[in-house]
Amino acid sequence: MSGQPRCVQVLNGALAEIFETRDDVILLGEDLLDPYGGAFKVSEGLSDRWPERVLTTPISEASLFGVAAGMALRGRRPILEIMFGDFIALGFDQIVNGISKFREMFDDQVAVPLVVRTPMGGRRGYGPTHSQSLEKLLMGVPGIVVVATSECHDLRALLVSAVDDDRPVFLIENKLMYGRPNRRPVGGYLDELRVVETETRYPALTFSGSDFEGGAATIVTYGGMLPIVLEAATELILEHEVFCEVVALSQLLPLDLEPVVESVARTGACVTAEEGGLTGGVGAEIAARVQERSWGDLRRPVQRVAAHDGVIPAARELENQALPGVRDVIDAVAAVAGVRI
Amino acid sequence: MIEIILTREDANTEFALLTEWLADDGSEVRKHDVVCLVETTKASLEIEAPGAGTIVHLYAEGAEVELGERIALIAESADELEQARGVRGSAATPAAPAAPTSRKATRKAVELAEQHGIDLDAIEKQGFITERDVEALLADRALEEVEGASEVLAGISLEGVSLPASFTADDSVGVVDPAFLASLDDDRGAFAALPSHEKLAAYRAAGASVGEGVVLGEGTTVWAPRIVLEDGVSIGPRGVVRCVEVVAIGALTMFGADFQLRCRRAYLGAGIWGGRSIRFGGGGHRDPWAILTVGDLGFVGDEVFVNVCRPVLIGREVFLTMRSLLVTHNVGHSVLEGFENRFAPIVLEDRSQVGLGTVVYAGCRVGREAIVASSSYVVSDIPAGKLAIGVPAKVAGDARHSVSRPRQVDLGRRMVEDLHELVSLRGHEVSPLVADEGIAFEVLDPDARGLVAFRERVADLRAVTPAEGETVVLTLEAGSGEPPGGVAVIDLLARRLHGSGGVLLDSVREFCRKRGIRVEPGPWRYPGGLI
Repeated sequence: MSGQPRCVQVLNGALAEIFETRDDVILLGEDLLDPYGGAFKVSEGLSDRWPERVLTTPISEASLFGVAAGMALRGRRPILEIMFGDFIALGFDQIVNGISKFREMFDDQVAVPLVVRTPMGGRRGYGPTHSQSLEKLLMGVPGIVVVATSECHDLRALLVSAVDDDRPVFLIENKLMYGRPNRRPVGGYLDELRVVETETRYPALTFSGSDFEGGAATIVTYGGMLPIVLEAATELILEHEVFCEVVALSQLLPLDLEPVVESVARTGACVTAEEGGLTGGVGAEIAARVQERSWGDLRRPVQRVAAHDGVIPAARELENQALPGVRDVIDAVAAVAGVRI
Repeated sequence: MIEIILTREDANTEFALLTEWLADDGSEVRKHDVVCLVETTKASLEIEAPGAGTIVHLYAEGAEVELGERIALIAESADELEQARGVRGSAATPAAPAAPTSRKATRKAVELAEQHGIDLDAIEKQGFITERDVEALLADRALEEVEGASEVLAGISLEGVSLPASFTADDSVGVVDPAFLASLDDDRGAFAALPSHEKLAAYRAAGASVGEGVVLGEGTTVWAPRIVLEDGVSIGPRGVVRCVEVVAIGALTMFGADFQLRCRRAYLGAGIWGGRSIRFGGGGHRDPWAILTVGDLGFVGDEVFVNVCRPVLIGREVFLTMRSLLVTHNVGHSVLEGFENRFAPIVLEDRSQVGLGTVVYAGCRVGREAIVASSSYVVSDIPAGKLAIGVPAKVAGDARHSVSRPRQVDLGRRMVEDLHELVSLRGHEVSPLVADEGIAFEVLDPDARGLVAFRERVADLRAVTPAEGETVVLTLEAGSGEPPGGVAVIDLLARRLHGSGGVLLDSVREFCRKRGIRVEPGPWRYPGGLI
């Protein structure tokens, strides 16, 4: 594991590679310039090499989205770094009434090939306005693509694909992910878990501890919840010999349901796990669709694991209680799979 | 030695700048003294001493330190001070991160492996090692032991089936004088009417291998060219055992009245308990494939019928409940007219159960620890560990569920409570239950005096204090050592008895058996006692 580069290094390397291979890419956001190199150091070293293509900006997210949209409309490929995912709220009018609609409103004469990179997630004690997971707000905006990265995905490929995409792509990163190794499966395995990866533009990973046989439930997750879900799945195996399949989506919008449906057909039960709030969450959408598509396969109703509906406290202990953890995932699997833990 | 580690608390980045040491190298510091300032991209932080002693800097001011590294040591003695300076001298010594303990075997696998002395490294597998993998290894080893034992078993997987020890016994053991067998045929009734000891003397004289304490009830005969009856075998009145080649029955195995065993070869293990009117055999019992094995500690209920014209392999600790039927062939109309005629073996893997009145049809295999419910009809294989029910039997769930530790503790306590009630209702004098570190009561009968207790764990068996009379401790976790005299410790999870005892232990052991907990060493027969 120690041989694998950290996620921040992979993203940083991918950005440098993109800058080298394309001259239409511009990175803009707050505090990007070296030596600081962005709040999470993803853009470190880029402004020194490409000073004219790395634009540091004031605190001005609302106009940033507008500037980036304008660049995209005029044929550039801007990458917008929003320092904290919480701040996308400032750009919502631009997103909802502009970026997502221009292409259809102007009858395909324009495209908005814009990439918004932003970290979501808590567990660092940053408090109510710097710890949220707001993917669910983006889920209701047709015309954009929402891609969640995770420490097990090919981060380079996801970033390159997002830049190549002619649609506006929101690439969701995670604060805890940056410092962790980018744990890629080797030879179809990640440690003891078998992993298959879809051959889609934004792949989903499906993990199994029993070679995709006899799974008790499918846990659908993404982003920063993945390591927590994998820990829960591993504990379920080691302590109880309860085997789950874990589907780690990257493409949340349009929702990539196929790997979920395929897995549920094998396991007969489904749990969703996300770090965002429960009500109207990504899990709610997945649950609804799984129940439409896989009703005949399901033994019990889909269970959702999510944060409580409320502010995320800054105090660590309280934050841990507000956000879903390993125990919550295990309990949900026990409930849905009808096993006593 | 105390380490000062630059924690990752609330930092966006992986490195921090050590801006200033406030405690000089080699100075004395107290707990909570601010020893240095570090700067992350967001904030300047004061680092406190986690304890008192002499501080030794590991980094100089102005150094960029990776978060998670130790930046200083606090020595609590002269020796430690020297050691700490050595650490600095050896330079670039990052705090050794705790190696991630990669555990790939499940708890059940580890427990089973320990029970059988299996080295888990012997299992080569990329994924998780489960109980099933350990079982497969055990089965492979058992298979190696019996390999080539019988060509008529070719094509039948012995995986999951523990054969009785007699299966591999030397062919020369128990060979009977053919003239003696012929004489039995001449006047069966007269021989069968002899008292048990006279019949046994005749068998021994003819070359049969007959152990101590064997009982053949009135009207019972055993007829086979090779006869092996181990210690304590007991067959009730009006029994007929007639095998074309060999019959071998293990120690402490008993069958009730009207027992019939007819097949080419029969190997019954040790400690099997059988009820009345059991029939092994039936049509085709002379066929070359008519081979029966029943593993150790099996249970065969009243009126069970096992048709043997093809191999019937029954593993260890298998329950054949009352009136269950195993049929290896059917009798029908002409195959040329399209009717099915099936002749096929039946395999019941270790610890499987067949319910009351259930039929298992030719060619079916019931997996390890699978349960087929009562009045079902098995026409296809039942996977290991599953509960199947119905006509035809279909998997309806798991045969068992996982039991949490608190629940196990609760169940263990309740066993003692139930035993207390039972012994008391049986008219024996007992003390009230005492809830101490576990739960316990005393039996006050003069001839069975002693203490029965449940303790979640008994770390050191040698340290168990003997009570007056016998001491029997039920536990979930027996540690090492041999208990002192008069003390017996029953590990309920490992199903193992440590130490020894008398009437009280026998009674507790019987009580455990009735809750499905049969403990090693075994087999063992309840000689009678308090319950």
